[in-house]
Amino acid sequence: MILIGERINGMFKDIREAIQNKDPEPVRYWAKRQQEQCAAYLDINTGPTVEKEDQPAVMEWLVKTAQEVSTLPCCIDSTNPDAIEAGLKVHRGKAMINSTTADQWKMDIYIPMAAKYNAAIIGLAMNEKGVPKSAADRIALAMEIVVNCDMHGVPMEDLYIDPLMLPCNVAQEHGVEVLETLRMIKTLADPAPRTTMGLSNASQRCTNRHLINRTFLIMSMACGLDSAIADVDDDALLDAVAAANILLNKDIYCDSFLKTFRSR
Amino acid sequence: MGLTGLEIFKQLPKTNCKDCGQPTCLAFAMQLASGKASLDQCPHVSDAAKEALDSASAPPVALVKIGKGEKELQLGNETVLFRHDKRFEHPTGIAIAVNDNDSEIAFKVGEINKLVFDRVGQTHNVNLVAVVNASGDAAKFAEAVKTVQDNTGFPLVLISEDAAAMGAALEVAGANAPLICGANAANLDAMVELAKKYDAPLVIKGAGLDELAALVEKAGYKKVILDSGAREVNKVLADQTQIRRQALKKFRPFGYPTITFADNPDPIQAIVDAGVYIAKYAGIVVLNTADPSDILPLITLRLNIYTDPQKPIAVESKIYEVGNPGPDDPVFVTTNFSLTYFCVQGDVEAGRFPAYILPVDTDGISVLTGWAAGKFTPEKITEMLNTSGIADKVSHRKVIIPGGVAVLSGKLQELSGWEVLVGPRESAGIPSFYKQRWGN
Repeated sequence: MILIGERINGMFKDIREAIQNKDPEPVRYWAKRQQEQCAAYLDINTGPTVEKEDQPAVMEWLVKTAQEVSTLPCCIDSTNPDAIEAGLKVHRGKAMINSTTADQWKMDIYIPMAAKYNAAIIGLAMNEKGVPKSAADRIALAMEIVVNCDMHGVPMEDLYIDPLMLPCNVAQEHGVEVLETLRMIKTLADPAPRTTMGLSNASQRCTNRHLINRTFLIMSMACGLDSAIADVDDDALLDAVAAANILLNKDIYCDSFLKTFRSR
Repeated sequence: MGLTGLEIFKQLPKTNCKDCGQPTCLAFAMQLASGKASLDQCPHVSDAAKEALDSASAPPVALVKIGKGEKELQLGNETVLFRHDKRFEHPTGIAIAVNDNDSEIAFKVGEINKLVFDRVGQTHNVNLVAVVNASGDAAKFAEAVKTVQDNTGFPLVLISEDAAAMGAALEVAGANAPLICGANAANLDAMVELAKKYDAPLVIKGAGLDELAALVEKAGYKKVILDSGAREVNKVLADQTQIRRQALKKFRPFGYPTITFADNPDPIQAIVDAGVYIAKYAGIVVLNTADPSDILPLITLRLNIYTDPQKPIAVESKIYEVGNPGPDDPVFVTTNFSLTYFCVQGDVEAGRFPAYILPVDTDGISVLTGWAAGKFTPEKITEMLNTSGIADKVSHRKVIIPGGVAVLSGKLQELSGWEVLVGPRESAGIPSFYKQRWGN
């Protein structure tokens, strides 16, 4: 399971203030902290309060600041292509682009960008019409992204399809469709594209969010989920992932599997 | 194995004409991938695309047969790089070479016929006799092939790159589907013609992997064995790995079994090389030696490598003697799971005392598993004591059972009439158990 730490996001108050005050400390703290907590990527998002024209500079600053103290690559998260490219330019190592949808005009921007910077890319199984409900409709959009990546020479191992989980309190019927989508994504190409998910979406404005998140994560892993953008500061979540890795025969069992999982 | 949507889409005309009833070619590809549509619904798909899609659904390594009758050798149908992922399907065929200018061909073939060994209660043998056109003479080659064929039941490998010599040899042996070895860049057309005429499998040899792939495509023949041309062990290993790896990725020209030659003049090196080829995907390994001491380790290695890792390996259920036991020595009962048996045997040996070990047939499962599954019972142990002949070998009537199944002792003693000693839970405790409890 490739965990993408969600915490460096301007939606969170401490990061928003850090951006406003150009204070690197909170960014450094979460970059280090998330690396210790088994994250493989740091999601970097300026948040919606930064003006569109300032987003490239803020993104650049966030990526540089995070990589000053962490060896992890970043998952550069923005709806603004200029901000993403600014992040990619200063990024060290193999970045991830978060994200494109299946709209042709977006794919025409982001997929060549992934090829140019040799970055991985997250493809959302949705378009301007919104999030499809059924697994079949999600898969049709995922296939559009697969074909476009293939056309631009982005290898399937670098494509992460996000079947788009919605909050379970208001869009409860989407959960099973997402699980079915995850299963079907593996049949789209050989080698198969990878899969990811914005996990915390599942529990927006619900009670017991941690429980809902980790339960859905484990169910999704059983259906072929390779990666998730998640709260890696949640130890119960890490324990559950470690156990799921064992049960899916991805890690070799040992009695100290929780510790081994964390020491990588 | 189904095709992926992307593989299908790449073969479609991409006109989005809707003649198939789907809004786009991509949607049609998805319907095909999920089995909800068939390819003939598209009127514009090319024959080349049809063939590509057909062959993409074939297994990654084709099944190729050599010879006829009960000694027919089947190769291919492999699906993994590592045996622990599933299993290796068809054991490497071992071929022993004889030269056509040898004066004692019949005698040599007689020696090859004797390469039959008994391993874990089954017989295992070599599979093929390779006749090498070392003389360069067509008539001599055909004559040698006839002598070999008259003296062995094994299928033949005919080794000559001269199409005329091969034609002469096939007049003698062609009816029995020998392996034609073989075609290369210079003689490809003639050899393919011969292979088609006799419907026999054909080795295609390239100078390196690129030429090999090109020749296989050019030949257009489907009963193929691959030879990358490499002869040094490091190069063969690299080529074997690439061929298997690419085949599993469905690179069609490499979707066939391979042939390798362990012909190092140093016999020990040749056997070590052959061991590498058996472990690393060779369909056939050709050797120049018929010395049983060279062949036995290879037969054993092949047996081990090609066992199914998901099935427990059992030892034969019979009396095993450790050291030179006499009538006063102890009798240990265990199960015929190989790991269990070899633990006990190793620990008895480490104790440096003679003993008998009786592994009860539990279908190859361990003591506690066998006990829980009702396969290691007082009845089964009694039967083993009564039918194995152990009673004739020892003057006492004492049997030692594993400590893990101490609860069986009362019932076993009642049923068998033997005095039951409960041993330690771990076989590592056997030596000290022996010192304290045996012979006093």
